[in-house]
Amino acid sequence: MAHFIQSLLNGLSIGSVYAIFALGYTLVFSILGIINFAHGAIFTIGAYFTYVLTGAAFGFNGVLANRSLPFGLTLVIAMIVGSLLAGFLSVIIERLAFRPLRRRGADRLLSLVSSLGVAIVAVNLIQYLVGAEIYTYKGKITGNLPSAVNFGSENTPIPIRTVQIVIFGVSCLILVLLTFMINYTKIGKALRAVSEDATTASLLGINTDRLIMFTFFLSGFLGGMAGTLVGSSVSIAGPYFGIAFGLKGLAVIVLGGLGDIPGAVVGGLVLGLAEAFVPSDYSAYKDAVAFGLLFVVLLLRPQGILGRVQVQKV
Amino acid sequence: MSAPDTASTPTTSPIRQQSGPDNAAHVLLDLRNVTVNYGGIQALREINLTVRAGEIVTLIGANGAGKSTTLRTISRLINARSGQIFYDGRDIGSVRPDEVVRRGIAQCPEGRRVLTRFSVLDNLEMGAYVRSDRAEIRADIERQFTLFPILGERRNQQAGTLSGGEQQMLAIARAVMSRPRLLLLDEPSLGLAPLIVRNIFAVIRELHEQGVTILLVEQNAHLALQYADRGYVLEAGHVTIEGAAAELADDERVRQAYLG
Ligand SMILES: Nc1ncnc2c1ncn2[C@@H]1O[C@H](COP(=O)(O)OP(=O)(O)OP(=O)(O)O)[C@@H](O)[C@H]1O
Ligand SMILES: [Mg+2]
Repeated sequence: MAHFIQSLLNGLSIGSVYAIFALGYTLVFSILGIINFAHGAIFTIGAYFTYVLTGAAFGFNGVLANRSLPFGLTLVIAMIVGSLLAGFLSVIIERLAFRPLRRRGADRLLSLVSSLGVAIVAVNLIQYLVGAEIYTYKGKITGNLPSAVNFGSENTPIPIRTVQIVIFGVSCLILVLLTFMINYTKIGKALRAVSEDATTASLLGINTDRLIMFTFFLSGFLGGMAGTLVGSSVSIAGPYFGIAFGLKGLAVIVLGGLGDIPGAVVGGLVLGLAEAFVPSDYSAYKDAVAFGLLFVVLLLRPQGILGRVQVQKV
Repeated sequence: MSAPDTASTPTTSPIRQQSGPDNAAHVLLDLRNVTVNYGGIQALREINLTVRAGEIVTLIGANGAGKSTTLRTISRLINARSGQIFYDGRDIGSVRPDEVVRRGIAQCPEGRRVLTRFSVLDNLEMGAYVRSDRAEIRADIERQFTLFPILGERRNQQAGTLSGGEQQMLAIARAVMSRPRLLLLDEPSLGLAPLIVRNIFAVIRELHEQGVTILLVEQNAHLALQYADRGYVLEAGHVTIEGAAAELADDERVRQAYLG
């Protein structure tokens, strides 16, 4: 029982990060109908931005070896600023890799390839700048709190790492804010309108280019935040940090139904829980569980867990 | 509804200068030699069309004649290959579509295109996207519900579940929510029962009386010429006949081709 609760809580924690990360894909997909393969790279870069902003120095491998910024923000502030920077980077990527193709009315497959190109260049650039070492944040997002909290009793302890709890809290806060924004604010409604019918949206006076920029900003912010949260839970595992996570994010949005916002959240939590319940002896096979689950869901519900069945008109 | 804006602004349109800002025949929309291509296909060829403030002008023609293309060009959804579009004396040939709406041209597109996943109320609110006067927007929404009582009854219903006639009413009401000076209507009668069509045309007339200038695209030439002041006949991307609506209704060519 104790083990069950522990797995449940850990699963919710990592699942909530999957959810905010996957929403970055979902937002872009719902507007443009394309998968932004650079999203995994944004995840990595966001984590590094935060690392740099804390004033930490790099190791001995890359061009930036043994350099640090002259200032150091505390981790919580660095995390927010780092995610904002990731958002701006995402906007730049939209300008370079997506907008020119969109203007020419190019096939969506081309955007997919160009975003993949951006991802590869970004990963190589990181490796060139800071090397392939693993970095750990200076300071903790948990501050002076004890490193674990006991959810059980004296006799049957159920320890959960405090950082997992903070991650869960931050992710939930972001999910609540995002849901509110999308459903009730003017810009959120405009986003949904463009997602349903971009031509009609511009006939209503919505500046679709600006809205697409805003969407990429949000997406990048979510990706960067996810990278930082995972980085603060484990550490930044080198330039390829975001690649595996990026693939899992894809599994999450397919699980939840492409372009479906609540679906991405449910998909993230399902994946996080599934992984958490993999017995520790088999933890090396976590990814097999993730993609096995994806396979099963696709067989049973090709439209995703929450996805609507598309009515085919004959 | 907003009264027509009579404030005069400096103009560059040749026609506007001739008629003067206070002239009742003030030209609101002026298409000069507009040509539009889709890839290699020419959809509009050297179109000249004017709409004066306070008029109802209709554009009639067969399927594929280029009627929707004309409206899409005015709303800047597609680029003209050549020619100029003046609105209120200013060239709008290179502004963004959202800017066209901000300047006072709303379009109710072909096939209604309501936001199916939004409620009736939210659709109307989105129609007022370019405005920020919240209290006035509220009042305008209530005005739409007096014009179209059925929409008021269904205000919280998802627009995708409305009937075709109700969606058409919603699409018109939504376009009106931006408080346009010029309203472009693309086949508002399409696929609707005669009773609903009459209902919708009564509202169009009412909007016109409230001061909205209207450019009406119709395949139902008989109906359109009843309501319009002037008309243009479009054939294969070219204006072949133009004139007062009554003249067009009597024109032998128009009668044969469009009035049966
Ligand atoms: N996106 C497009 N790509 C290529 N050709 C197009 C496109 N849209 C319209 N056309 C062509 O341009 C011509 C004019 O089309 P348009 O939609 O303006 O006609 P219409 O007068 O509105 O017809 P209808 O009464 O059927 O709505 C047609 O020959 C059509 O096939
Ligand atoms: Mg048409």
